[in-house]
Amino acid sequence: MREIPENNTLLSMTGITKIFPGVIALKDVDFETKYGEVHALVGENGAGKSTLIKILSGLYRPDSGDILLEGRKVFFANTHQSQQNNIAVIYQEFNLVPELSVAENIFIGREPKTFGKIFINWKKMNANAKEMLDRLDIELDCKRFVSDLSVAERQMVEIAKALSLDAKLIIMDEPTATLTEKEVVKLFEIIAELKKQGVSIIYISHRLEEAFKLSERITVLRDGKKIGTKLTTQTSQDEIVSMMVGKVVKDYFGGSKSVSAEREVLLEIKNYSIADHVYNVGFKLHKGEILGFAGVLGSGIHSLLRSIYGATPKTKGEIFFEGSPVEINSTKDAIKLGIGFVTEDRKGEGILYDMSVLQNLTIIVIKSLTFLKGLFVKAKKEKEVFNSMSNSLDIKFANLNQRIIFLSGGNQQKVIIGRTLLSNCKVLILLEPTRGIDVGAKAEIHRIMRELANKGISIILSSSELPELVNLTDRCIALYKGKINAEFTRETMDEEKLVAAQIGQVKK
Amino acid sequence: MIKFLKLYEKIGIFILIVIAGVFLAIASPNFLKTDTILNIITQGTYGAIVGFGMVLAITSGGFDLSVDAVVALTSVFLSILIPNIGIPSAIIISVIISCCVGFLNGVIITKFGVNPLITTLSMATIIRGVSLLIANGKQIPISETRFSVIGTGKLLGIPIPIYIMVALFIIFYLLLNQTSLGRHISAVGSNESAARISGLNVTFVKIMVYVLVSFTASINGVIRTSQAMIGIPSMAPGFTLLVITITILGGTSLSGGKGNLIGAVFAGIFISMIYYGLNLIKVEYFYQLLSVGLVLIFALFVDGLRKRYLEAARIKGIKV
Repeated sequence: MREIPENNTLLSMTGITKIFPGVIALKDVDFETKYGEVHALVGENGAGKSTLIKILSGLYRPDSGDILLEGRKVFFANTHQSQQNNIAVIYQEFNLVPELSVAENIFIGREPKTFGKIFINWKKMNANAKEMLDRLDIELDCKRFVSDLSVAERQMVEIAKALSLDAKLIIMDEPTATLTEKEVVKLFEIIAELKKQGVSIIYISHRLEEAFKLSERITVLRDGKKIGTKLTTQTSQDEIVSMMVGKVVKDYFGGSKSVSAEREVLLEIKNYSIADHVYNVGFKLHKGEILGFAGVLGSGIHSLLRSIYGATPKTKGEIFFEGSPVEINSTKDAIKLGIGFVTEDRKGEGILYDMSVLQNLTIIVIKSLTFLKGLFVKAKKEKEVFNSMSNSLDIKFANLNQRIIFLSGGNQQKVIIGRTLLSNCKVLILLEPTRGIDVGAKAEIHRIMRELANKGISIILSSSELPELVNLTDRCIALYKGKINAEFTRETMDEEKLVAAQIGQVKK
Repeated sequence: MIKFLKLYEKIGIFILIVIAGVFLAIASPNFLKTDTILNIITQGTYGAIVGFGMVLAITSGGFDLSVDAVVALTSVFLSILIPNIGIPSAIIISVIISCCVGFLNGVIITKFGVNPLITTLSMATIIRGVSLLIANGKQIPISETRFSVIGTGKLLGIPIPIYIMVALFIIFYLLLNQTSLGRHISAVGSNESAARISGLNVTFVKIMVYVLVSFTASINGVIRTSQAMIGIPSMAPGFTLLVITITILGGTSLSGGKGNLIGAVFAGIFISMIYYGLNLIKVEYFYQLLSVGLVLIFALFVDGLRKRYLEAARIKGIKV
């Protein structure tokens, strides 16, 4: 047990400001934690949570403001200096080496040596690792390889590693997003153990109930500003939600809204399950409707939508398309039916790097643009198809043969939407279509979606930007831990309800 | 630097040929004769023909190290089949058998998810073994003299292998640039996940690619066997590396997605010129090996440089 100084404050950040070109990520933010305290940090996407963490972990340097650690002023030029000051960050993606054992990972770079510091003292290392795990009451064989561990077990290894580095402050970024209920319980026990040992924890989660269960205090950030810090015992989830959301400017996207209820059903999903991700989900999609999906990491939305498109298998469930039951076993099946899909991972599975703008746009339908079933490309026809699509989506490029990587993110996204649209889809699934593109391009993509819906194409939109969902969709479904938590119509939906629903609350 | 690399991409191999040509013309009075030049080009076609197949493989993001073994397999089958079923049937069947090797490669790579390098390397060893087994470890002479026309005959004064190469070039050029399969090959090589999510049949595309590589290798085997008039189970040792050198030197990017067939033709001729030059100064065979290795490293170096500068240009926002 450490000696704890009088005032009990471990970390105090004052007046932290961080400006990126064009954006103020953090503005004059104060934040402090005490020894043995869990301090929850909440806010919507883009509120500034990750910027704050990155400053603490030494990835970013603040433009102004002071960081005091145990009363000393500190400055982190890099992550190494932050670690040396006993700060550990546990990210969603772990920094473990899968090919090494648990003990090796805990003591990586600091392995106990023997025989004049030549050989690793395995016995001592395993014993030390076991001691670390015991301190946290974790039952885990130190000799197991990390690659064989579950996500929850890996997280425990990370925590043990942090503890072995004598961490006084552990920052946990969405630690429960990918854990099961049982594993969450275990994690909470470990956190309680850490608290007992005087370790201070900054807990970041989209799940408010967890923040309430664990923390002593909750700090809310919004748009880079600190809205306030509340003692957990003296506040309510409702109050925190309204602090997170603030005032919503309604209808800033402007489009007119359509009523979907009486339209015909184009796609219906019943009892759809994907092991560990989605449980018994069902919904209907009407013709010409924009159906939104809201949910935080771990909600299962992406798994669900990918699976409906045939990109990943399902455990069970039925799909009805235009009234008749269909089997979708591959993306090809989905495309044939008229279901299009635009990935959230534009770089990983969207753009075809080495190919031209033209080739990128026509790749799905290229076979239909040839003579003799694929033998000769009708170059003129291909250009016509390209031109009409690029005009209607207003894609900007230097020339047809320009490689796609030289286009801006927004234009790349339009090419990928256009690619999908060319396959004549009736249902368009869009995952995070405006992620990582600039404001102007965003507005255009919103306009395109509205126009497509007016033409009778049904759109499924998954977005982590709530204003987008509130203002663009006709209906919105909130998923929480793989189950439908709430459904809103155009009239009943607002940002506050969505925030509440996607973090597990049901608002009356 | 970017400009230089752009220029190199377009005409680099021509410049190399011109430089080599000037050297050879100075070194040998015989170089600038029609016969010599035709001879060099004919020699160049061997590598170029298989180079076309390799261009497809590398464009699709794969690799094929079994081409030399397929050449030998074709050779052995030809020598056994010709006396029994006649020349045309023997050629067709040998080529089909070779294509089956490519099919197997493709199936193992796609269905079992094995790395293409390992798959085709193992396949090369297996096929060599099979060839030796079938031929009983011996070389089998072919007595049917008409067969030699393919490798040594001339039409209008130009050797037949050159016609074969031109025909294959046209076929592969159209395939890569004018057919949907060609687009799909580029797409798979550019970004396999994107190709998959776009509903392309990635498995089919890859299997086709390996079949086509084996096809080109077996055509090479037919030409070589026709010249040697003998079935040799150990034919074409080290040929795979030569083909890869020709492919990369010809401007096909190792990272996939971008194939250059015409480059392969000229790279084949360039390598052939180097061999001619080395023969001229009467150096030993191992210098030829050494020179191919050096050329490959040079080609890889330029390919790497190009990729790095392209990336830098993209980040800086320079249009290329």
